[in-house]
Amino acid sequence: MSDQTRTHAINMDTLGRTHPSRKLRDETITLQAKKLNLFYGEKQALRNIDLMIPENRVSAFIGPSGCGKSTLLRCFNRMNDLVDNCHIDGAIHLHKKNIYARDVDVAELRRRVGMVFQKPNPFPKSIYENTAYGLRLHGIKNKRVLDEAVEKSLQAAALWDEVKDRLHDNALGLSGGQQQRLVIARAIAIEPEVLLLDEPASALDPISTLKIEELINELKENYTIVIVTHNMQQAARVSDYTAFMYMGELIEFDNTEKIFTNPSAKRTEDYITGRYG
Amino acid sequence: MDPIGHHISQQFNEELEDIRNKVLAMGGLVEEQIKNAIISLVKGNPQLADQVIENDVKVNSAEVAIDEDCSQIIARRQPAASDLRLVVAVIKTITDLERIGDQAERIARVATRLSEVERPKNQYVEIQHLGDHVARMLHDTLDAFARMDVKAAVDVAKEDLVVDQEYNSVMRQAITYMMEDPRSITRMLDVIWIARAIERIGDHSQNICEYIVYLVKGKDVRHTSLEKMERTAQKK
Amino acid sequence: MMHDWMKSGSPWIWMNAAAVSLSIIIVLGLLALIAVRGLGHFWPARVVEQNYNPPNAQALRVIGEIHDTEAVSAESLKDMGLALESDAKWLQRRLIKTGNRDILGSDFRWLLDIYTSESRYPKEVITIERREWGNFYGFLTTIKENGIVIAEGEAAWQETLKRLQRAQEIFKEIRYIEKDEIGDINYGIETLRLKQRRLELKKELTETRHQNIGRERAILQGEYRRLQKTLSTLYKDIGRDSITAIVMNGQIVTIPLSKVVRMYRSNTLNVFQRLGLYFSKMWEFVSDEPREANTEGGIFPAIFGTVMMVTIMSLMVTPFGVVAAIYLREYAKQGVITRTIRIAVNNLAGVPSIVYGVFGLGFFVYFLGGNIDQLFFPEALPAPTYGTPGILWSSLTLAILTVPVVIVATEEGLSRIPRAIREGSLALGATKAETLWRTVLPMTTPAIMTGMILAVARAAGEVAPLMLVGVVKLAPSLPLDDNFPFLHLDRKFMHLGFHIYDVGFQSPNVEAARPLVYATALLLVLVIVILNLAAIWLRNRLRERYRGLES
Repeated sequence: MSDQTRTHAINMDTLGRTHPSRKLRDETITLQAKKLNLFYGEKQALRNIDLMIPENRVSAFIGPSGCGKSTLLRCFNRMNDLVDNCHIDGAIHLHKKNIYARDVDVAELRRRVGMVFQKPNPFPKSIYENTAYGLRLHGIKNKRVLDEAVEKSLQAAALWDEVKDRLHDNALGLSGGQQQRLVIARAIAIEPEVLLLDEPASALDPISTLKIEELINELKENYTIVIVTHNMQQAARVSDYTAFMYMGELIEFDNTEKIFTNPSAKRTEDYITGRYG
Repeated sequence: MDPIGHHISQQFNEELEDIRNKVLAMGGLVEEQIKNAIISLVKGNPQLADQVIENDVKVNSAEVAIDEDCSQIIARRQPAASDLRLVVAVIKTITDLERIGDQAERIARVATRLSEVERPKNQYVEIQHLGDHVARMLHDTLDAFARMDVKAAVDVAKEDLVVDQEYNSVMRQAITYMMEDPRSITRMLDVIWIARAIERIGDHSQNICEYIVYLVKGKDVRHTSLEKMERTAQKK
Repeated sequence: MMHDWMKSGSPWIWMNAAAVSLSIIIVLGLLALIAVRGLGHFWPARVVEQNYNPPNAQALRVIGEIHDTEAVSAESLKDMGLALESDAKWLQRRLIKTGNRDILGSDFRWLLDIYTSESRYPKEVITIERREWGNFYGFLTTIKENGIVIAEGEAAWQETLKRLQRAQEIFKEIRYIEKDEIGDINYGIETLRLKQRRLELKKELTETRHQNIGRERAILQGEYRRLQKTLSTLYKDIGRDSITAIVMNGQIVTIPLSKVVRMYRSNTLNVFQRLGLYFSKMWEFVSDEPREANTEGGIFPAIFGTVMMVTIMSLMVTPFGVVAAIYLREYAKQGVITRTIRIAVNNLAGVPSIVYGVFGLGFFVYFLGGNIDQLFFPEALPAPTYGTPGILWSSLTLAILTVPVVIVATEEGLSRIPRAIREGSLALGATKAETLWRTVLPMTTPAIMTGMILAVARAAGEVAPLMLVGVVKLAPSLPLDDNFPFLHLDRKFMHLGFHIYDVGFQSPNVEAARPLVYATALLLVLVIVILNLAAIWLRNRLRERYRGLES
């Protein structure tokens, strides 16, 4: 009898909701865009973006091509500085400090806000050197420290077991999915606060994609992750919050489950259900 | 808002349209089943009752077919937002429709049995009344489903209260009969059975109305009050 | 039918194929011609003895190697004043290399086939390669020691071979002392002189210093005297033996063994001996110094000078070109100015090379070199140190000539580095400079190497500007030796390209030099090919490291 009671109690527990609904207002905010406008020459690419990226959550940006989601992502580590005649209005706060302020060291900012790109872009060096690249930039030369950091990052990127016997082989010999995980390992080796992922799985096969998604899920315990993706199902799978962008505007930013079951804006609805608006 | 058309994939449009039509067709079939079952009882027509029993197979197979279509759409299209809600609502709706079909079959079976015994003077008018009410309710539900009309759905859901009241009065009447005339107990128990079945049909219709609200508004209104359902329906 | 064929595009393909084939044939034919003519020169030919009885002239016996055969028209012979007894329109004639320039006046003689008779290949005839006056052909009669005959006939041959070996060993020793040891002492004395002069100019020549220098000089001079004594003994030793031999006109000559480079009985050699001789002559050609106004001996200084000049040029042009390219591509704001600079750089490659020579002479040699001499080497004046053509100025001139190639190639390489790689590095917090050094530049090395290969190919083949800024017909010493500071960038040097010109057109003995022109040309081609292959090999290795990025 007592056994039965316990079984019953356990069942009650497992019956709770797997994805408790999060409220943005309860989250700690890592990144915040304030009235952000971005121009490429005369052309305005981002319009009045107000957005809050919560800490230790995965936020996904979705939207049609050219909607500005990658551009917005690149604002968070000032990658757009590299583009000629790119002009930015407004502010982005990283922990309440404007990253577009004059006294900000861009290299330092990029160490705090790591980025992974669409196509895996390992350097033509060994796996080890790729992972240690950022650390070496920091001036770390101690072999033991490097060894440890490399192992830790590769493990965190779920790549260690696959490459531990060939750390000194050229990274270009890895498969696309492994390369992408290596690039993630390279980014997290310098322990950034935020990890920006720009369509990290779009060049990969489905299995590699799933591995990357699994990795994102594990990484969100320690990192604030922002991911741009074309694949809506991917956004639905990996993210806690989803932003839908359209023509340089932020249309909707909300819980992912809300966006994918019952979005507020018609344009979001049209986009995620595959309609022409 | 048209929840079905305007997909970039024309085929997806057609698939969604197809399951919706199938649900309506199934609903039509079930509605006819109810009506026939009631008629067979009221008119004491065992042939019609047999036909209802036979036709239940059609209802069951319709459920299976639509279920399969829905699985296909989920697997192939990964529907999101309103599309997802439509598929989910359809899956649930057909379950309820199938149950309604079962209730109709049950009524028909009892009707067969009752056709062999002496008929009451009032020719089961109270049952006919209750049955017609529920059949109309189901009809309105299907209408609301076809038009994705939340307001209509809420109105239909409200009807269930009336059905429940009618059911109670039928019950009281039956109990009175049984106390008056103990010989009628066997027959009256069957009548209670049928009333119970009809009342269940009303509940299933109400469920379907809740699905319609979920489908259109994205809010789950099951196990809440009618007021809340109404508020949700009125919300933009 | 014809129309269809035209439409199919086949004629076009055939035309392409024909053009490619023609190019290949031209290149291969060129190489084959140079190779055959050049390599044939070292083959120890058989020596023929024949009688020659031309009309209206004295009959004579001719001994020598058949060098060439050609058909000549009777007309032209008549025009030359030759009385012909034959009616034939065309006559065969042979060019015989008779050697013995000192006795006969010339090395070669044309013989008309119809007047020659009794061709034979006597076993006893000997070929001697001499240090002076070219080859000797004739019959050995005796061998003498200090003027006294010690053997004759067949015995003399064996004895001569033995003694020749001794003489050659002594010769090697003499040359070592003269060139290396005495050369070092001379260099030391000159250095001391310059040191003294420098101190004088600075008015710092104290008595003690003067004495010290005098002491050092005395030591060197003592050493020099000692060497001189050794040398005179060696000279006496080497002059001990001599041979006498009969020349084709019956004259008997005496040849000291010290003047003999190589001696053999050409007609008795078997194939392997001939081959051995062939390779030893070839080795001499590439490893020895020239003799007899560059018409004999080897061309090692020219090879060395060419390679060295190209190496120095590469060392200067690569960093300069790469730095310029990096600035143009990575840092300069792209606009009208950079575009203008690019056009200017590209056009620089099209300026005729002799113009660079003139520029080099005017700017580097006279202006820069003159000022360097004033500033750093006043002690040597009025003799110029850097104010005269030299290997440094040649390298610099060619560096300017080739720098556009390196710039263009490097820029091309930089532009081909995927943006993703740069962004990857920048996203890790690297600055632009760090990204360049750690990632972009290593990946550009294959392109830089390509630029260098092109630069080397161009530079190694240039002659005209070098004639103005540093190349000489005969350099007394190599620009690299064992005297401090080992590398003498002020020295003049020899160059294969110039050597070809010099031997072919400035030589007193054109017939004898002609094969050398081919051999040198072949060597020049080989040197360029080897330099290129080395660079290409290096580039391919680098490419292998960065493979997978090209896509």
